[in-house]
Amino acid sequence: MSNVPAIEIKGLRKTFRDFWLRPVAEAVRGIDLTVEKGDVFGLLGPNGSGKSTTIKLLLGLLAPSAGTVRLFGMPPRTRAARSRLGYLPELSYLHPFLTARETLLYYAGLSGMGGKAAKARCAELLEQVGLSAVANRAVGGFSKGMARRVALAAALVAKPELLVLDEPTSGLDPIGTRDVKDLIRSLARDGVTVLMTSHLLGDTEDVCTKIAILSKGQVAAFGRTDELLTRKQDARFTIAGLDEEQAKAFAAEASARFGREVQFDHPRVPLEEFFAETVGEGR
Amino acid sequence: MRRFRSLVRSATLEALAEPLSAVLFLVALIAVPLLPAFHCHQFGEAGRLPRECGFSALLVFGIVFATASAVRVIGGELSSGTAAAALARDVSRPLFFCAKVIGVLVAFALFSVAVGLSTVASVATAEMGEVQERLGYAHVWLPGLVSMVVLTLAGFALAAVLNRFFRMRFCVTACLSVSGAQVIALALVAAGAKVPMQWSLLPALAALAAGCGVFVVLAGALAVRLPPAAVTTGISLAALSSFVWPVRAILPDIQMFWLVDSFSYGGAPAVGQLASAFAVGALLSAFWLAVGSILLERREIP
Ligand SMILES: Nc1ncnc2c1ncn2[C@@H]1O[C@H](COP(=O)(O)OP(=O)(O)OP(=O)(O)O)[C@@H](O)[C@H]1O
Ligand SMILES: [Mg+2]
Repeated sequence: MSNVPAIEIKGLRKTFRDFWLRPVAEAVRGIDLTVEKGDVFGLLGPNGSGKSTTIKLLLGLLAPSAGTVRLFGMPPRTRAARSRLGYLPELSYLHPFLTARETLLYYAGLSGMGGKAAKARCAELLEQVGLSAVANRAVGGFSKGMARRVALAAALVAKPELLVLDEPTSGLDPIGTRDVKDLIRSLARDGVTVLMTSHLLGDTEDVCTKIAILSKGQVAAFGRTDELLTRKQDARFTIAGLDEEQAKAFAAEASARFGREVQFDHPRVPLEEFFAETVGEGR
Repeated sequence: MRRFRSLVRSATLEALAEPLSAVLFLVALIAVPLLPAFHCHQFGEAGRLPRECGFSALLVFGIVFATASAVRVIGGELSSGTAAAALARDVSRPLFFCAKVIGVLVAFALFSVAVGLSTVASVATAEMGEVQERLGYAHVWLPGLVSMVVLTLAGFALAAVLNRFFRMRFCVTACLSVSGAQVIALALVAAGAKVPMQWSLLPALAALAAGCGVFVVLAGALAVRLPPAAVTTGISLAALSSFVWPVRAILPDIQMFWLVDSFSYGGAPAVGQLASAFAVGALLSAFWLAVGSILLERREIP
């Protein structure tokens, strides 16, 4: 049982049809993917490449035109499979008349949780996504990023083993984005399997252990992030406290020693880091 | 069971949170006592007009309120994506559909109870009535009429106060408090009126509510596949014309649930009539619940 993959997709196809059953869009054209337990899997691709459609197919919300999907070895429409899963939709669909706390309690109820345990879990999640202060406001009046945080907390409410996140960072501020990345990493450390899509390649690169790139409904590239991105034949050094003159001298020495061209530059902090330092942790 | 309760509660809240619901509650509960009072003609029986008014208010306002709510809850959840977020969890689609529709039925039951209590009070008020020359010869018992109307308005005002000071949802509180006001109004009227209260109106109104309930479930089932505006209009028209061929051939005939005529001149509907109305209502509701569940089971949720 333990080596059953979290997600197994074979020969998956999906053609959307209109009222008269004429094909409208061939969104997915034969995808094979396996997400092992413990992976943080990034699904990348341009707009309309079929990422969200693939996710809805694997949640059983859409029916495949061909191919099979297995969640923990089970068809996605079985309740046992879905009880182990948390889903963050592409857009934060929330009931506008419920408050943030009520929204989480509603989703806790839908996962079969109730009473004090559910209340404590919701309070903990509100704290975690930074919404404790506005927990009693109706989510209809929330900003896009606040709604995103509520939806993310709703996906986490039942402590899922498999988390499916469709563009988790869309609409979030840079610190929110970093919090989400930290959250994903810490969940992964606890053994949660994550499947996420994102258009922010940098973020995907930071957190995903494996990626697949979809193009026109097909897998164009698939593999471990390290293996796909690392150029093992090259090496890069960072030496702290070296000024321009010393660096030039070192480059010349190294060039003479290995008989290769040696380039150097001065490292820049990522804007994300600079932003976080500038605005502090507060919002 | 927890899942069921969460779904029912959210659907009831959603039905009552809509501004239109509060307006329909208020208008219906003002219309029931007020409309019959200002007719000079009694049709040979003082209780007749308020009785018919109560039944009509339940049918007309009730059908509009409940079918619109069912369509909004079911169709709205499917089109807005909240259904997808719920159905990606460990929630079966039949459970989702049935619980959401039952949630709307709970809201409709609140409306029915409020209109029912108001009708009983209004009939007693009419029977106590006397000709008021100052009010254009209206046949009115002022203490009863005034307490009913004022309490209903006070319920609405209470909702505003609770919203202002305790941030409670205005529309939901308004629906609840104007309904609660009917209990107090009925108690006052029952204490003051020197005529027997016609409690037998309540089961007859409940039978009508059961008939309307079928249309609510039907609306929910159709909303799984059809656009909201089409379902609301179609169902409202079909329910109000359900005694006309060809509608009567395919939908429950509302006349079967319309037992108001048996109250003429001191009569009351037979137990058999009531029982068969409830049985047909329950059976047809169960049928459409099953149809809706199957439709949702087969629908894709993009
Ligand atoms: N319900 C639908 N009906 C018809 N066509 C659809 C439907 N949903 C998606 N499509 C089509 O399927 C294709 C893939 O859409 P999908 O939403 O999966 O893309 P995506 O990769 O998630 O894009 P994005 O990056 O913009 O979110 C698109 O051509 C889209 O028009
Ligand atoms: Mg998408």
